Amino acid sequence: MNRNVLLVAAREFRQIAAMKSFWLTLLLVPVALAIGPLLGSSLDEEEATRVVVLDRAGGSAATALEQRFGFEEDRSVLRSLSRYVRRHGLENADPDAPWAQHDRWYTDADVLTFRQSGGVDAALAQIDKVRPDDTPEFDIPEPEYSFTPAPTALASAQGDELQSRVDALLDGGEDAPDGEAADYVLLVGEGYPADPTIRLWSNDQPRSNFVSQVQEVLTADLRQRLLADQGIPASQAAAIQGAAPAIAVTTPPPGGGAREALLIRSIVPLALSYILMLSLMLSGSWMLQGSVEERSNKLLESLLACIRPEELMQGKLLGALAVGFSMIGVWVGCAIVVAFFTQGEIADMIRPALEPVSSPTAIVAMIYFFVMGYIAVSIIFVAIGAMADSMSEAQGYLMPVLIGILLPITFLLSSLVAGKDGLLVQILTWVPLWTPFAVLARLGMGIEWWEMIGSGILLAGFVALEVVFLGRLFRASLLATGQKPGFKQLMDRFKAPA
Amino acid sequence: MSVLRVENLTKRFGDVLAVDDLSFAVQPGEIFGFLGGNGAGKTTTLRMVLDIIRPTAGRIEVLGAAPDKRKSDAIGFLPEERGLYSHMKAIETIVYFGRLKHMDPADAHSHGMELLERFDLADRAKSQIGDMSKGMAQKVQLACSLVNRPELLMLDEPFSGLDPVNQGLLEDEILRASKRGAAVIFSTHVMQHAERLCDRLLLLKKGAKRFEGTLEEARDTLPARITAVAHPAIASVDGVASAEPVEDAGDGFHRYDLRLTPGTSSEAVLEACTAKGIALRRFEEQRASLHEVFVSMVGEGEVQR
Repeated sequence: MNRNVLLVAAREFRQIAAMKSFWLTLLLVPVALAIGPLLGSSLDEEEATRVVVLDRAGGSAATALEQRFGFEEDRSVLRSLSRYVRRHGLENADPDAPWAQHDRWYTDADVLTFRQSGGVDAALAQIDKVRPDDTPEFDIPEPEYSFTPAPTALASAQGDELQSRVDALLDGGEDAPDGEAADYVLLVGEGYPADPTIRLWSNDQPRSNFVSQVQEVLTADLRQRLLADQGIPASQAAAIQGAAPAIAVTTPPPGGGAREALLIRSIVPLALSYILMLSLMLSGSWMLQGSVEERSNKLLESLLACIRPEELMQGKLLGALAVGFSMIGVWVGCAIVVAFFTQGEIADMIRPALEPVSSPTAIVAMIYFFVMGYIAVSIIFVAIGAMADSMSEAQGYLMPVLIGILLPITFLLSSLVAGKDGLLVQILTWVPLWTPFAVLARLGMGIEWWEMIGSGILLAGFVALEVVFLGRLFRASLLATGQKPGFKQLMDRFKAPA
Repeated sequence: MSVLRVENLTKRFGDVLAVDDLSFAVQPGEIFGFLGGNGAGKTTTLRMVLDIIRPTAGRIEVLGAAPDKRKSDAIGFLPEERGLYSHMKAIETIVYFGRLKHMDPADAHSHGMELLERFDLADRAKSQIGDMSKGMAQKVQLACSLVNRPELLMLDEPFSGLDPVNQGLLEDEILRASKRGAAVIFSTHVMQHAERLCDRLLLLKKGAKRFEGTLEEARDTLPARITAVAHPAIASVDGVASAEPVEDAGDGFHRYDLRLTPGTSSEAVLEACTAKGIALRRFEEQRASLHEVFVSMVGEGEVQR
């Protein structure tokens, strides 16, 4: 490579690396990416929804509800445990246990068996005997609902007093002790079951799974009573109530579902595409600042006395590329460190996520589209830098260009995250300015080899044209300080120099 | 061999003729003044020599090669509009430009320090350009143009914006470069510097050459003026075109401004006066200054004293 190009690139790199904003961005992005999931998980509702049941019909309904919700919590734990066992291949701890069976939707009988064999604690004790040291422990999910006894003052309250006491309970806040705060209050009236009206107060829109379970439990209770009234023995009535189909379920192993697998496979390619966009915008704006400084400080003539305009342009592009690769190197390094020190699910997820980008062809494609993408967009920044005398003037040129580049990419990435591979994605793959982003992002979903090669050739042609025409614009604009070119002048600058 | 040879150089910007069929050559060790008013085509010519812009027609040879070969290792250039990277240190900047001119980094550093020493800036070598005064930054930029010991040193309006002390320093550097054999071209519209420094001059007006030659030759383009204190009969001496009385000197004598007919020397007039017995109390020849030559060729509006 030309020595002058390398000297210009090294200077550009040093100038950008000396900026505080460079280091802030370099460190803030991984910090933000790390904080994001942490914040997300801290925002996840870990506290169980507190339910107070005011049963004025004797208490049997409240008991039935509490039992049923407890039963469903156990079903949920059993399902999670089954996925954990399947993910880590721990079935040999007890091949007959329900959590070692992954081929069905767990019935009440399965949950009962699970309960009778000691529940999750007993299951984990068995699993621990065969669990390898590098397999993470099972994280018992928090129960979704907790039932707390109704405050005594509420037991006999009626009318407005009842309403105000319920309001106080619902307004109690998260930190209030049990019995003084609730998320849902359920009233089973004195007239139940003759009057089957159940009243529910909630401090928010009640969850449908709560309402449907309440409905299911109380419907069963009402039917049980009706069957008993019809003279059907309790055991027979219970059998009628308990009749349910056994649903056999075939699912892929965790992370192996079509949509889930697609998403996991697309994580790295999508992240690459996003990183390309992010680093391009950042290094491009820094480079632009440098170019504007060169013009406003009037040092272009000194530079051009030593080097060709083409060398200056290529040096700037190489400098921007080096800045981009440094940023990506640091971010990928951070990701590797995180992956190395993370056990379990994340490491398990990373393996399939790296699959689409680990073949030599994919690596070559990634590097090619990354570099070409960088050149294709950076050269626009360089040309803008050569035309603008100040940052505010540069912003005037930059804004429409940024919108033109970024908006379709935003649509593209959201389409691919949603698993859509439609017309928009196909079109963007073949428009050179967006090709790198589209191809990189599609590596996970799978892109036909002919599409990759075809769009790659088109992109190379586009970059070659950019180098010729924007190179002319760059050369012609460099010394035209203080002149705001009109459309005609701009077009003239694209023409070959005399 | 000429360090720089320009033949029939023409540059048009649309309808504007910036340089019109210009030819000249500069020899090693020569200080060549490029004189002309604003818009005369000086900077455009220098930019074409550096291949920053391309000529419409004509030929340029820098050290025997076309400008696009960019013999930057042999060229030093100080532009009229000066500026450097504000975040770079003085010595870093000089080394950077030295390396762009294909110098070894160590050589660029040592010669850069030597220049800073000479410019009384050695203690500011590691200061950022942005922290320096304008005068200091201009000296750093001069060092950038000299660091590669150029064979062709081109200075575009080098004295503009410099205080008298730094103007003296710059004159010393021009003479130093010339002594070691470099061809120095500098453009200016300040005639005093050209008079003091130039071996040869080129006067431009609207892109076209009006004169090229030595200072003496330039002065000879205007007839000499003679101040004489004599009797009115001096007006009838052969070779005297006109005798303008300026003031009465007493005793029938007047002070006259004499204009001679073309081709007549002052010596011939003096001899004729003696032959005719015309008494002279004063006979003083005043040769035209470069300023007057410049004004006569390009007009009063173009000159700056």
